[in-house]
Amino acid sequence: MISRRLFTGLIGAAAMLPGLGWAADMPKPFDNAGDVKVALVRYLSTGDFFQAYLSGVEKQAEAIGVDLRVFDSRQDAALQADMVDQAIALGIDGIIIQHGLTESMQAAAQRAVDAGIKVVAFDVNVENAAIPQVEQSDRDLARLALEQAVEDNGNEFVAGYVYVPGIAPLDRRDETWKKVKGDNPGIKEVAQFGTLDNPIANSVANQARSVLSANPNITVMFAPYDEFAKGVKIAVDEAGMSGNVSIYSADVSTADIAAMREGGSAWKATAATNPAVVGEVSVRALAMLLAGEDPGHNVVVPPTLITQAMLNDLDIKNMGELGTKVPAFAHADVAVPGWMPLPAR
Amino acid sequence: MKTSPNLTDIAIKYGFLVLMAGLIVFFGMMADGFLSPFSAVFILQSVAITGILALGVTATLVVGGFDLSIGATATSALMLSSYVMVVWEMNAASAVILCLLMGMGVGLVNGLLVVKMKVPDLLATLGMMFLLVGLQRIPTEGRSISTGMALPDGSTAMGTFSDAFLMLGRHRLDLFVPKLLPLSVVFLVVIAIAVWVFLELTRHGRLMYAIGSNAQAASLAGTNVNRYKILAYMISGTLASVGGILLAARLGRGDVASGNNLLLDSVAAALIGFAVLGASKPNAFGTAIGALFVGILLQGLTMLNAPYYTQDFIKGGVLVVALVFTFALSGRGGRGRG
Repeated sequence: MISRRLFTGLIGAAAMLPGLGWAADMPKPFDNAGDVKVALVRYLSTGDFFQAYLSGVEKQAEAIGVDLRVFDSRQDAALQADMVDQAIALGIDGIIIQHGLTESMQAAAQRAVDAGIKVVAFDVNVENAAIPQVEQSDRDLARLALEQAVEDNGNEFVAGYVYVPGIAPLDRRDETWKKVKGDNPGIKEVAQFGTLDNPIANSVANQARSVLSANPNITVMFAPYDEFAKGVKIAVDEAGMSGNVSIYSADVSTADIAAMREGGSAWKATAATNPAVVGEVSVRALAMLLAGEDPGHNVVVPPTLITQAMLNDLDIKNMGELGTKVPAFAHADVAVPGWMPLPAR
Repeated sequence: MKTSPNLTDIAIKYGFLVLMAGLIVFFGMMADGFLSPFSAVFILQSVAITGILALGVTATLVVGGFDLSIGATATSALMLSSYVMVVWEMNAASAVILCLLMGMGVGLVNGLLVVKMKVPDLLATLGMMFLLVGLQRIPTEGRSISTGMALPDGSTAMGTFSDAFLMLGRHRLDLFVPKLLPLSVVFLVVIAIAVWVFLELTRHGRLMYAIGSNAQAASLAGTNVNRYKILAYMISGTLASVGGILLAARLGRGDVASGNNLLLDSVAAALIGFAVLGASKPNAFGTAIGALFVGILLQGLTMLNAPYYTQDFIKGGVLVVALVFTFALSGRGGRGRG
C-alpha cells in the first residue's frame, strides 16, 4: 500500500514539474494527497467522448496525487445510485457524478452531502445547492456553430436540422437553434429528422438521403452532434451534393477532423469542448471544494469553434495536434487556483 | 378456419405485395422525388446491410434455429476490418478475408454450441452476442477506430482505410444513369439470389426445410441434421460479417456500436418475409421483400418529415400485421406447418 502511495506521489510530482514548477505547498488535505480518496461515478461510459473524459479525470487526479476510484454503472440508473452509497461506505472524500438521471441521483447525492462528502456533478442536474454543476455549455456550442453558419451563408438559407428530443444536451442545443431561427426569419427549416439507432451515423445517413432527395434546395444542415454530422456528410457525399450543402455541428474527434478535411468536404465547422478538459475541470472543482474553496455553483467549460479552414491552415490531423495548435482547446482556465497542479502537456 | 373463402387465399398470397404497391403509390403522390431512380437506389442501399443480415437469419430460421448474434457479428466485422487496416496497416483483401473467416468462425462456434453442447439456439447465440459486443472493444479500450487515433500503448495509429475497401460501400456503377447503382446493392441482390437458389432449388436447401419442420423425421430419413444446422449458423455468421464489411466501407471508420438495431431490423425483415406470397415459413424471397418493405416505409416517412419514434411504431405495426397474416389467416395451409 505504501509503495503504491509513494508511486502515485512520485507520478504526481513528476507531472507537476512542467506545469507549475514546485507545488508542494498544496492546502489541506492535499498536503497528504495520497490519502485523499476520490470516486468517479459514471452513468455513460461507452464511446470516444466518455473515454476522453475519463482520461482527463485520470490525468488531473494523477497531477494532484489523489487516489481515484472509478465506478461505472453502464447506463443503469439504479445501480449508479447504489454506487454512490457504496462510495459513502468506503469512506471516500469526494465524488464526481458523471451523467445520470435527476430522479435517481438527486437523493443519492444528498445522502453523500449529508455524510460530509464533497460532490460535484457533470451534465446531470442533482438539484442541490451544495453541489457545483460542471457543464460544457451546450447553448454556447450551438451558438458558435450557428454564428459561423450565418457568417458563411448569410441570414437567409434553407436548412435541414437533425435533432432527437429528450436528450438533455441536444435539448439545450435545440433552444439555441430555435432562438437563432427566431432572430433570423430568413432561415427556413424545411426538414427535421434524426435517430439514435446504432450505428448512429449509418442510420442518420439513410434518413438524410431521403431528406435531401425530398428537399434538394437545402444549403445548410445543422447537425449539433458529431455522429449526426458524420451521417449527414455520408448522405451529402452519396448524393453528390457536397458543393451545395454546408454542414455545421458540435463536438469533435480525430475521425471528425479527417472527415472535415477531406477534399471538398461539406462539413464546414464544428464547435466543441474538449471532453478531456471537462474531465480535468471536474476534478479541479472537486479539489477546490475539498480544500474548502468555492468553485462557484456553475462551473462552465467554454467551447471552441473549429472550422475547416482552421484545420487546413494549421494542418491539424488529430485531437492531439488540435490540443497543441489550438491552445484554447487544450486547457480551460476554469477552476485553477494558484496551488493547483496541472497535468503535463 | 378450416374452410376459408377464396378471397382470404388471395389476401394471404398477394396481400403484402398489394400493400407494398399501395405504399409506393401513396408516397409517390405525397412526397416529391419519391418516384425517381435515385430514390429507388437510396431505398435499396439503406436496406442492403440489414437485408444481407436478414438473409443469414433466414438460413437459421429454416432449420428451426435462431441467430441473435448477427448484429454483434456485423459490428465485430466492422471493428475488425478497421483494426486490420488502421492499426495493422494491412490491405483491403486481408481485411475482407479476416472478417469473413471471423464470421464463419462465429457461426461454427454457434453451431457447435447448439448441436454438440445442446444449448438452446436463443441462449447460445445470446451468449455469443454478449461475448462479441465485449470482445470487439477490448483491443481499443472501447474507442472507435480511425486514422490518427491514440492507441492504448500511447502511439498513434497511422494506417488508413484503403480506397479499394471503401469502394465496397461507396462505389457506384453506371446503370441507365451514370453512377447510379451502389456496389452494396449489387451484393444484396447477388446474395439474395444465391440464398434463394440454395434454399429452394437444391437438395441441401430442401433437407434444411425438412429439418426445420421435423428434425427427428429428417434424421430418421438419413439426413445429417447436425451438419446442416452448423452449416446454417455458418451461413448466418458469414453473411453477418459481409454486412459488417459493407458497414465499415460506408462509414469509413470503426464505430463502436452494439448492433442491436441491425439485429432487430433484420429479424423483422425475415419475419415479415413469412407473410409474402403466403409462404408461412422463412424464405429468401420473402426476406428480401420484407427488408425492402421496411426500407420503402422509412424512406417515405422520412421524406414526409415523420419523427423517428413514429417510424419505430409503424415498423412494429407492419411486423404485427405480417405475423397475423402468417399465423392466423393462413393457419390452414402453411407448407412449413405441416
